Amino acid sequence: MKKYLITICLLILSAATAGCWNLKEPDQLAIVIGGGLDINAEGRLDVSSQIAVPAGLGGPDTGPSKKKSFVVVSATGKDFMDAGQNLQTQLSRTLFYAHRQTLLIGQRMAEQGMDKYLDMVVRNPKSEMRSVIFVVKDGTAKEILATEPVFDPLISTALGSVQLALGMKPYYYREFLCDSRTKGGAVLLPAISYNASTKRFIYAGAAILNKENSHRLGGFLKPDESYYANWIKGRQRALTVSTSGTQSNGSISLRAQALKSRIGVVKDSKGMRIHIQLSGKGNLVENNTMRDPSQGKELRKIEESLSREAEQAVNKLVRKAQGQYKADIFGIGKHVHRKFPGEWKSLQNNWNETFSRLPITVEVQLRYEDPGQTNSSI
Amino acid sequence: MSSHNERTVSQRNAAKAVSPSLTENEQTLRSIFENCSDVVFRRMTMQGNIFLLLVYVDGMIDKDLVQNTILKPLLYEGIPQGLGTLGSLAQMLDMELIAALQTQRITKFEEAADLILKGNVAFLADGDPFVLLADVSQYETRSIEEPSTEAALRGTRESFTELLRTNTTLLRRIIVTPDLKMESFQIGKLTKTEVVLAYIDGLSTPALVNEVRTRIGAIDIQSVLESGYIEEYIEDTSYSPFPQMQSTERADVVSAGLLEGRIAVFVNGSPIVLVVPMTFWDGLQAPDDYYERFLYVTMNRWIRYLFALFSILFPSIYIALTTYHPEMMPPKLMLSITGLREQSPFPTVIEVFLMEFMFEGLREAGIRLPQQIGPLVSIVGALVIGQAAVQAGIISAPIVIVVSAAGISSFVIPRYRFGYPLRMLRFPLLVLSGLFGLFGVALGLIMILSHLIQLSPLGTPYLEPIAPTSKSKLKNVFLRRPRKRMN
Repeated sequence: MKKYLITICLLILSAATAGCWNLKEPDQLAIVIGGGLDINAEGRLDVSSQIAVPAGLGGPDTGPSKKKSFVVVSATGKDFMDAGQNLQTQLSRTLFYAHRQTLLIGQRMAEQGMDKYLDMVVRNPKSEMRSVIFVVKDGTAKEILATEPVFDPLISTALGSVQLALGMKPYYYREFLCDSRTKGGAVLLPAISYNASTKRFIYAGAAILNKENSHRLGGFLKPDESYYANWIKGRQRALTVSTSGTQSNGSISLRAQALKSRIGVVKDSKGMRIHIQLSGKGNLVENNTMRDPSQGKELRKIEESLSREAEQAVNKLVRKAQGQYKADIFGIGKHVHRKFPGEWKSLQNNWNETFSRLPITVEVQLRYEDPGQTNSSI
Repeated sequence: MSSHNERTVSQRNAAKAVSPSLTENEQTLRSIFENCSDVVFRRMTMQGNIFLLLVYVDGMIDKDLVQNTILKPLLYEGIPQGLGTLGSLAQMLDMELIAALQTQRITKFEEAADLILKGNVAFLADGDPFVLLADVSQYETRSIEEPSTEAALRGTRESFTELLRTNTTLLRRIIVTPDLKMESFQIGKLTKTEVVLAYIDGLSTPALVNEVRTRIGAIDIQSVLESGYIEEYIEDTSYSPFPQMQSTERADVVSAGLLEGRIAVFVNGSPIVLVVPMTFWDGLQAPDDYYERFLYVTMNRWIRYLFALFSILFPSIYIALTTYHPEMMPPKLMLSITGLREQSPFPTVIEVFLMEFMFEGLREAGIRLPQQIGPLVSIVGALVIGQAAVQAGIISAPIVIVVSAAGISSFVIPRYRFGYPLRMLRFPLLVLSGLFGLFGVALGLIMILSHLIQLSPLGTPYLEPIAPTSKSKLKNVFLRRPRKRMN
């Protein structure tokens, strides 16, 4: 009994005397819900933070008197934390980074290269690694942070669900970090842009950050190109593929689920060859053609034409990556590394160059699972 | 106590032995029962020369029985003819006249006075140096009612009463074997309370029975008003928030305990019977756990375990998470809690403390209040504490949720008194979490656990079968297996 009392007294004393008091009431914190990194016109780092205004979020009172649910503050600085300190001067509460949902990177910053700024998110123990990361195409992070979201009270939480809604796995900062550590190739970051007319954000495809060029922005993929790229990388879960029908003969759409991708690396006397095998199956969700999917033969033809259609799109994307961007955005380097670890040592430093000259073949297999609820087109 | 050592007039007189002279005996008895207005002395003369004195306590005897079976035959019919070899009047009364089951002859006033006070009628006859006592006791008691603190959906509806004999009868009716032993003790110099130690010979360990027997035998107190007196004397660790003895008002619970080889202690005047030894898990089992279908019971048990944890931890975890580790909360939850907290003027710890005190106050008030005012308390509690405090912005809404959820979950625990330690230990945990966050909560839990592991009432580890682990018994803690497989 006495021992207990003494222990408790000592503990309380130690807290009081050592000043080791971590207590922070929630209303002493400025919860950073989204972060944005930009380079301003003078070439200085411009950090913006979207800070939740809890009074505008919680509580039963809704209506015109309700406060705005967030505020965006920004400051410049030598690095992220220096800018953070400058941010703090504008706020009456301590900045709290652990709930940051989204990290946005302005296009100008991506163009200058992300290499320098990778460290700060990981090193700071208070920072959140599970923020989804986006590159802002043709704009600044600040613009996106200030937009009013449609559903959620905060834009930052909404951005995380954008990718899910499009059928892909959300891309977190943590994954960006992992991808950027291996040598060779490029990182594919999701991109978003600001639509000035609707004052809303819009998914803008993917940004290519070249790993061999200190993570500088190499270009953007269009949204539909990004779906195929993600399919190859195994990040796409569902995708609607349509045949390119004309107005007269109509088109067929297949909502493909269970997307799979296999990347085969073969090396023989003629050198290294890559074969990309993509597969998926799903339901026929639309049919505007004269074809009748209830007949086996027709169905085979539909599958065939859908597969070819997708194959063409993927082929086009591969050529674009090899020719225009000259960057391995598909993570093929990883497969080469695994299969030929010896060769990889010499290849890794100049992988993009090698990649752009590799012969790559693509094969897509789409299968139907359900022809839909009707026979031929109504 | 000064009176403890000095003997009173009654005690001095009671030490005397019964003499053959009736007048002398009457004088002694009258001085013993001096100023006891409820003690009745009745002098009778039969056939002119035989004097008889009846002494009894008014209200404790069956008057009809005495009148019909003793007085009437004596007064109307007189002494039966042919006394023959019978030596004395008292002997005659004993053998031939008094139609009562239990009679005894006492030669000491001390014992006689005790028996009179317990509802015997004393007969003193001239010339006989002893008192004849007939047990005709009958007094007003509460009838057997439904258990009020241990409700169960299934199982007996009979609960113990204040009368020891009724209670032991209830038990005898369930366990019909001469192996059910009931050893009687008399404890308390003034209350002379009968305490019965019940166990089943052959099922309980003799060492355990011996230990309890010695402990009860060693009790030396003035009074026993409730079984709680006995509990405190025979429990191992007084400085523990946890009850080390199961107390129940249900005969089936006592029987179950006895059949598991445990020991029951009945105390006259108390409807609460003690069952020893008790383990931590007994505190979380309900009477109908073994009557209802095993699947529901298993689910219910888990609900109880979770709620027990919840009731002790929820407020302190809330404090630790919101004020020390806000990064551990889901962002949306954190934001809404922060939003709801914006208005409140007190730190979270203080808020929780205030509300916990209010809750405990309401609980205590609820027990003490007369039934008519009971609903008032809940209305005032709900309105003032629940709504008004939040609307006025004095207390934040999450705190009300936390405190009431933790409060309710402590009432999920079926043995009412087992909820006490959980509710009580909440407070030190609150302090610790307010000072050190999760680290403090962990520290507090470690202290509680190490205390629980130390506890070993009557040699049975309190946390058995978890610590020390016993695989076969373990299954009955986590699950309630079907009876066919329970062995």
